[in-house]
Amino acid sequence: MDLIVQARAGDTQAWGDLYREYAPAIFRFCRRALPSKEDAEDATMEIFMKLRDKLAQYDPSRSFSAWLYKVAANHCWDMLRRRKARHDKDMDDVDELPLETPEPNQLERLIEERTGEEVRKALDMLGARARMALVMRYYSDMSYDEIADALGVRRPFVGVVLLRARHELRQALGENSPLAVGGTR
Amino acid sequence: MSETENTTNKHLDEMKLLLYVERQLDRESAQEVSLHTQTCDRCLTLLRALDRESRLLTRSLLEQDEPLPARLAEFQEKVRTSMQWIWGVVFGMALLGIYALYAGYIEPWEQQVEQAGFNGTNLLSLLVFQGAFWKGWQSMFTLIEFVALASFAGFAFFLGRKYLKRGTALAVMFASMGLLLMTPGRAAAIESRHGEAVTVAKDEKIKGDLLLNGQRVRMEGDVDGDLIVFSQDVEIQGHVTGDVLGAGQTFRISGIVDGNVRVAANTLTVSGTVGHNLSGWAQHLALEGSGKVQKSVWAFCQLLALDGQVGGDLLAYTQSTTISGTVGGSVDGRGESLSISSSAQIDGSTKFVGEKPPDVASRAKLASPVDYTKLQHRSRMERGSGFSIWSIIWATAYLLFGLVLLSLLPQFSKEAATNVEHVGASFGLGVLVGFAVPIAAVIACVTVVGLFVGLSALFLWYASLYFAQIIVGTAVGQWILGKTNEFWPLVGRMAVGVLLLRVGMAIPYVGFWFKLGVIVWGVGALSLAMYRRLQPAMAPKIPSMPSGPVGTPLPSNTTVGSA
Repeated sequence: MDLIVQARAGDTQAWGDLYREYAPAIFRFCRRALPSKEDAEDATMEIFMKLRDKLAQYDPSRSFSAWLYKVAANHCWDMLRRRKARHDKDMDDVDELPLETPEPNQLERLIEERTGEEVRKALDMLGARARMALVMRYYSDMSYDEIADALGVRRPFVGVVLLRARHELRQALGENSPLAVGGTR
Repeated sequence: MSETENTTNKHLDEMKLLLYVERQLDRESAQEVSLHTQTCDRCLTLLRALDRESRLLTRSLLEQDEPLPARLAEFQEKVRTSMQWIWGVVFGMALLGIYALYAGYIEPWEQQVEQAGFNGTNLLSLLVFQGAFWKGWQSMFTLIEFVALASFAGFAFFLGRKYLKRGTALAVMFASMGLLLMTPGRAAAIESRHGEAVTVAKDEKIKGDLLLNGQRVRMEGDVDGDLIVFSQDVEIQGHVTGDVLGAGQTFRISGIVDGNVRVAANTLTVSGTVGHNLSGWAQHLALEGSGKVQKSVWAFCQLLALDGQVGGDLLAYTQSTTISGTVGGSVDGRGESLSISSSAQIDGSTKFVGEKPPDVASRAKLASPVDYTKLQHRSRMERGSGFSIWSIIWATAYLLFGLVLLSLLPQFSKEAATNVEHVGASFGLGVLVGFAVPIAAVIACVTVVGLFVGLSALFLWYASLYFAQIIVGTAVGQWILGKTNEFWPLVGRMAVGVLLLRVGMAIPYVGFWFKLGVIVWGVGALSLAMYRRLQPAMAPKIPSMPSGPVGTPLPSNTTVGSA
C-alpha cells in the first residue's frame, strides 16, 4: 500500500516498482483477452499510462489488484469494441439460440482430457465477449457486478454470458466430439 | 411412469447449476439445488463437471506460459516519466511555434494590414484575416508546413527534455500562452434579422451592430455600428457608421459606409462611398464611376474594373484589371493582364507582375511609368540547387512529422496504415472526404457561427493531406520490409515508404497524378480509421432478463431444463 501511496505522490521509483510488480499479471490478462501478443503489449503499456491519471481515483480501502484488473478489463473491452471485434458470431444471432445441456459424463471426459495449453488455444477461437467474460471471471476473479459493469450488460445476464462462453469453449475444445454440437439431452 | 423418468423430468437446468457453482444463487435456490443433487446422480455429475470446468479454466488462464516481452520490460523506464509532461512539452512547443510564426511572418505584415484598416491584435483576427484570408490559400499551406516544422521542433525538444528542468519548460509554455492569448477581442450584443426578404427601412435607425441574413437583403436605413450580411442578393443604400462584413452572390453598395468593407461575393459593385478600405473577394469587382474608397482597395478577383476614386493604394490579385478611375496612392498588381485607360490617374508608383505587358493608354496620367515584371513559370529543374535543398528539407520534415505522428498516435496510425490495404474502400472514401470536406467547410464559412468551424475543418483537412502521405508511406514500407508492431522498425518502414513516394512524386508530369492518388488513398484510409473509431458502441444483443435478484426464473431460451 505504501508503494501505491508513493506512486500517487509522483515518486518515480515507486512507479517503477509498481510496474515491475503488476505488469506481468496485467500483460497475461491482456494476452488472454486480446487476439494477439502485439495487442496485449500495446494494451499493457496503455493501461499503465492510463494508470497515472486514474490512480487518484483509487479507493485504498479496496483491493488494488482487483481495481487494476477492472481498469485493464475496461481498457481491453474498449479496444475490442472500437475495432468492432465483438461483432463476431457470439454477438449476433447466436445469442438468440437456445443452449443444450451437455451430457454430464461426456463433459467430464472432455475436461479430463484437455490440457491448459489446449484450453488457451481454444480460447483464441472464441468471440470477443465470451473470451472477455471468461478471462474476467476465471483469471482475475472479478465479481458478477464488475463483469456486468465492464461489459455493459445487466447483472443477471452475466451468468448467461458465462454459460454461453463455456459452451463456445467446449465446442472449440471438442471439434470432433458430440459436445461440439451441444451434447445430448 | 417409471422412477427414472420421474427423476429425469425434475433435472435442474445447467444455468442454475452453474450459478450454484459460482455461488450466485440465493439461499432458497441454493438449498433446492443441494437437496436435488443428493438424490439425482445426473445433476450431481453435471454439477461436478461444471465445477471442474471452472477450475480447469482458472488453472489454464493463470499458467505462466510466456515471459514478459522485452518491449514491456523496457517500457518500465517510460512509465517512470509522465506522459502529461511530454504532452506539455509538445503543446508548449506548438505555442512557441505559433509565436514564431507571428514574429516571423505575421508581424512584418502588421503595419501594412493596419493601413488597410485591420487594427485587431488578438490571435484569432491575426490568423483569420492575415493568415487565411489575406494571403489566400497559400498562407494556409505555409501554416501547415510550419506546423510540420513545429512538430520537428517539438520532437527535438522531446528528445532533449531530460536536460531541461520541468519548471523552465512549463514557464516558457505558459509565458507563450500568455503572450498569445492575453488580448481577447471585445464582446458585444448584436441585433439580428432573418427571413426570406430582410429590409431595413429608410427611416429606421439601428443603434449598435446589426446582423442580416436572408435570401434578399435591402438596407436603406442607418446603422450606428457594424453591419454583417449574409444573403444571396444584398443592396446597401443606407448609411453604416462602422464596417460592413458579408458574403453573397450579388453585393451592391450604393450608400455610405464610414468604416471598412470586407465582402466575399460573386459580383461586388460599389457605387457609393467607403470611408476606409475596401477588401473584396469576388469573381467580378467593380468600383463604379460614382464610387469612392477613401483609403485602400485590396482586390482578389477574376475581373476588376476600377472606374471610381481610390484615396489610397490599390493591391490587386486578379486575372484581369482595368483602371479607368483615380488612385491616390500606388498600384501593386499581379495577374494575367492590366489595362490602364486614358481617363485613369495614378498618383503613386505602379507595379505589375503578369503574363502580358500592361496596356497603358497614352493619355493616362501616371506619376511614374509602370514597373512591369514578366511572370516566370520555371520548371523544377530550372529552379536549381535551391529547389533540391528545399526538397531534401521537406522530405526530412515529412519524416519527422511522421515520426511525431507515429509516436503520438501509434494505434490510430497503425489502424490507418492497415486500412490502406482496403484499396477500394480507401479510394472511395478518399474521393468523398477529399472533395466533400473542403466544400462543406467553405459552405460552413458562410455563416458567422460556422466560420471558425469551417476554417478549422479546412485546416484539419489540409493537415490530413500530409498525414495521408505518411500513412501510405508506412503501408508501402511495410509491404517492402514486412509488417511490424515495434515502434522504431515501424518508423524505419515509414521512412522508406515516404522516401519512395517522394521519388514517385518528383517524376515530371506523372508526379502530380501520383501524388493525388497517394493523397486520396491515404485520406480514405484515415477516414476509415476515424469512422471505425467514431462508431457508437453498440449494445450487445441480449435476451430480456428479469430485473429481480439472481435466482429468479431465467429466460427459457438459455437452458433446456428437463428432457
